[in-house]
Amino acid sequence: MFQKDLQHMMYGYGDDTNPLPETVALVEDIVVEYVTDLVHKAQDVASKRGKLLTEDFLFLIRKDIPKLNRCTELLAMNEELKQARKAFDVDEEKLASAAD
Amino acid sequence: MEPASPTSQSTGPPQQQQAQLPPPSRLTPPSSSMPSNSSSTIPQSPNPNPSQNPNSNPKPPTTVQQHPPPPQSLPQSQSQTRGPLNRPWSQPSHFSHFPSYLQPVPSPSSSSSPVPSSSVPSSVHGPPRGGIAKGFPATSSPAQPTSLPASFSSSLAQQYGGLARSPVGVTEPVSNSSSSPAKPAVLGMQNVGMISSPIRPNSIPAHHQQRPVQSSSRPQLTSNNQPSASQNFQAHGLLKASSVEPTSSSSPSLTQGLQSQNQPWLAPGSHGRPPLPTSSFRAPMNPQSLQQRSHAVQPSLHSLPAASQQQQLSSSHHQQQPFALSNQSQENHGQLLSSSRVPQSLAGQQQSTRVQGLGNQKSPSPVMVQPSNVQANPNDRTAVAEADESGNSILSKRSIQELINQIDPSEKLDPEVQDILVDIAEDFVDSITTYGCLLAKHRKSNTLEAKDILLHLERNWNMTLPGFIGDEIKMYRKPLASDAHRERLAAIRKSIAGAEVVNAKSSAAQSIFVGISARLLTTSSYNLRVKP
Repeated sequence: MFQKDLQHMMYGYGDDTNPLPETVALVEDIVVEYVTDLVHKAQDVASKRGKLLTEDFLFLIRKDIPKLNRCTELLAMNEELKQARKAFDVDEEKLASAAD
Repeated sequence: MEPASPTSQSTGPPQQQQAQLPPPSRLTPPSSSMPSNSSSTIPQSPNPNPSQNPNSNPKPPTTVQQHPPPPQSLPQSQSQTRGPLNRPWSQPSHFSHFPSYLQPVPSPSSSSSPVPSSSVPSSVHGPPRGGIAKGFPATSSPAQPTSLPASFSSSLAQQYGGLARSPVGVTEPVSNSSSSPAKPAVLGMQNVGMISSPIRPNSIPAHHQQRPVQSSSRPQLTSNNQPSASQNFQAHGLLKASSVEPTSSSSPSLTQGLQSQNQPWLAPGSHGRPPLPTSSFRAPMNPQSLQQRSHAVQPSLHSLPAASQQQQLSSSHHQQQPFALSNQSQENHGQLLSSSRVPQSLAGQQQSTRVQGLGNQKSPSPVMVQPSNVQANPNDRTAVAEADESGNSILSKRSIQELINQIDPSEKLDPEVQDILVDIAEDFVDSITTYGCLLAKHRKSNTLEAKDILLHLERNWNMTLPGFIGDEIKMYRKPLASDAHRERLAAIRKSIAGAEVVNAKSSAAQSIFVGISARLLTTSSYNLRVKP
């Protein structure tokens, strides 16, 4: 499922350019198991609220500082990109309306 | 009697091996045969021992002993073993059962000498008993523990006597005798495994071969240690019998090939386990121990292939192969299960050694062995050093130290702590293998596969091992809450409900106060329950 992406990521973290397929399969197993477990736990946490929110996932990794910081950084970048795209679209609309 | 036995033994070790093997096996039938055979069994086993340990208790060195009626005790022991083995690894406190074993041990030990002779058939039960020993203290009735210690001590005595052959057993008993009595219990256990294995392969009847080996090793250890320490060994041996099995399997192979080396082994009296003669010896030993253990757990499951294998073997050397095959598969599973890479590396090495010598043996295990070989190969390089030492047990002290280095390079553990960790690891592997065999049997299969072990670990230990056919989607389970936790949660909910009811009737402040006080009470009760 994540073979291609995982190979590049493993290379980025120090593995060989072409890691062993067994290694990639093992890492994929670990990743899938971790994500599945995380989602189940988030479901348990969010069951009271009824909705599954991003904050549930952040709550679950609150003990892992590097992961937590990386997650908040990525979420912040995502928000910035959204703002940038929104501004870009608005500019385009302005240009389109100005051109008219 | 002892002085005569050493001389007689030294003269014809090869002959004695064959003769002595059956005697050690006799020791195994713990409960049933002990009372009647106690007197006759001991004399048989001591034969090999006297040459090894002049100090050891004396099991009269009769080289050849009649085969005590082992079959009788077999059914009993098997049924007994299955009961406790079924329990999952939820009783880490089996060590606490030691005292109960220690007390009855002294009494049986006196009669243990006669038992060895009659315990040939009982020896078959020995290994299973060993496995049960752990479970028994918790679940077995009070009557059983007394019988078990006696049987074990007798079996140990026999095995101890028959140890003379195995060089591994020799070195360990020697070192044990020299070490403090406290240590021998720990070391003795390891030796037991080694000792039993060498003796068994020689003369054990087809179906009894596996068990007698282990039981033979146990008596050997006891005889090696001083009488006072032997009792401790016996008690420990009972507990460690299961753990020793893996190591004991290796010893039979060693003893067979190293009969002539017994004397040189004795001389050095090196500390701990001397490097086993070769890795090849080690390989057969471990598989044998595993084989024996599996037999104890499920005779129907593995005994057939093992028995068939044994029958085929005409010489002790051949016997090693089939043991290695069956043990290899079992051990592989055990090693695959363990999270530590040390056992895996050992398996890889052992597998490679076994494969070389076991070409002619066919067993259900080879199918499973190969996948484990592939998986364990990456760890072979790290296992080399450890594999040599772990011939007697699943985990050696060096591997424990290496694991500690991975966590904290500056950490140092006391030797007692390392011994305990080794014991825990062996017990863990033993229980895992037992339950895995039960699951495999439930699947109506004669092959222990990785999925049996994975299921057991996932459900009872909450351990997930990625990379072992874990592609199937696993049902998620919420963390299992204990009964006490659920009670507390229910009490809290009641207090909240009470607060809400109060709120409806009175003012908000009062309801809040009631709710807070109720919650404090429940939390205090929670704390009170936690403290004790």
